[in-house]
Amino acid sequence: MRNKLLYLIGAAAILLLARDIYAIIGLPEEVNQGIIFKIIFFHVPMAITALTCALVAFCASVAFLVTKNFNYDALAVSVTEVGLAFLAGNLITGSIWGRVAWGIWWTWDARLTSALVCWLLYAGYLMLRRAIEEPTQRATFAAVFSIFAFIDVPIVIFSIKWWRTQHPAPVFWGGGSMPHDWYAIWAWNVLAMMLVGVVFTAVRLRQEEFQREIDSLRRMAHAL
Amino acid sequence: MYTLLLQSAEDVAREIARLQHGYQFLSYGLIVAWLLLVGYVLMMVARERKLKREIESLKAMLESTSSGSRQSPSR
Repeated sequence: MRNKLLYLIGAAAILLLARDIYAIIGLPEEVNQGIIFKIIFFHVPMAITALTCALVAFCASVAFLVTKNFNYDALAVSVTEVGLAFLAGNLITGSIWGRVAWGIWWTWDARLTSALVCWLLYAGYLMLRRAIEEPTQRATFAAVFSIFAFIDVPIVIFSIKWWRTQHPAPVFWGGGSMPHDWYAIWAWNVLAMMLVGVVFTAVRLRQEEFQREIDSLRRMAHAL
Repeated sequence: MYTLLLQSAEDVAREIARLQHGYQFLSYGLIVAWLLLVGYVLMMVARERKLKREIESLKAMLESTSSGSRQSPSR
């Protein structure tokens, strides 16, 4: 049943993405930025998915510390890894956009730097998990680290409001605007990326279950 | 008139170059983004296979160990 639901969500995400790509190809150029503007249809949905993953990881980490239920720990690690992949996509697409719009691949402005720090923090979270053998200690330390890492997420989001940055002001909550049909395509792409994120997280969660099964089988083997 | 034609031809060439530049980088961005996600999927598939193999081998080891310990008292 769970697998069927996963396949269904995955198929819906692929169909949505294919439809969106077809629609994005048909869109005209933006007046100031030209064709490279179309990267926003992937760059921003990837960021939204990544930061949503960070929020879920934060909630799961708090829930683990409160309940000591390892299912929350499994959710936190799964969603963090998926978020890291999406944030990497966001950083790379942003860098390519910057090369055309600004003439440079990277600049140390508040938005870009805080996003890179966010990626490094969550990469550090995954490395921390690999470094600790004992499961309870690993889950507890990782949960505390994840809560600490989440402090950077509001900084990433609001950096373009708090400081003068080279990164453009937000289109939707910074006085900018987009034609309605462009906005609709963008919103559908956000949904598609979120669905891809849900499928990835579910697959990664299943792997965590396999890992726990391996751990218990190893314990049994040691006991024999 | 000739100067105007020459100027517009230059403009067209510049516009084509600008468009090609934009398309080139847009395609880079999209290819990299999709390759990254496909790479992650392949990594997850490989990891899942490895985990399943490990479970099978551990189960087989446990079965052989338990059947060996069941047989040993009758020897």
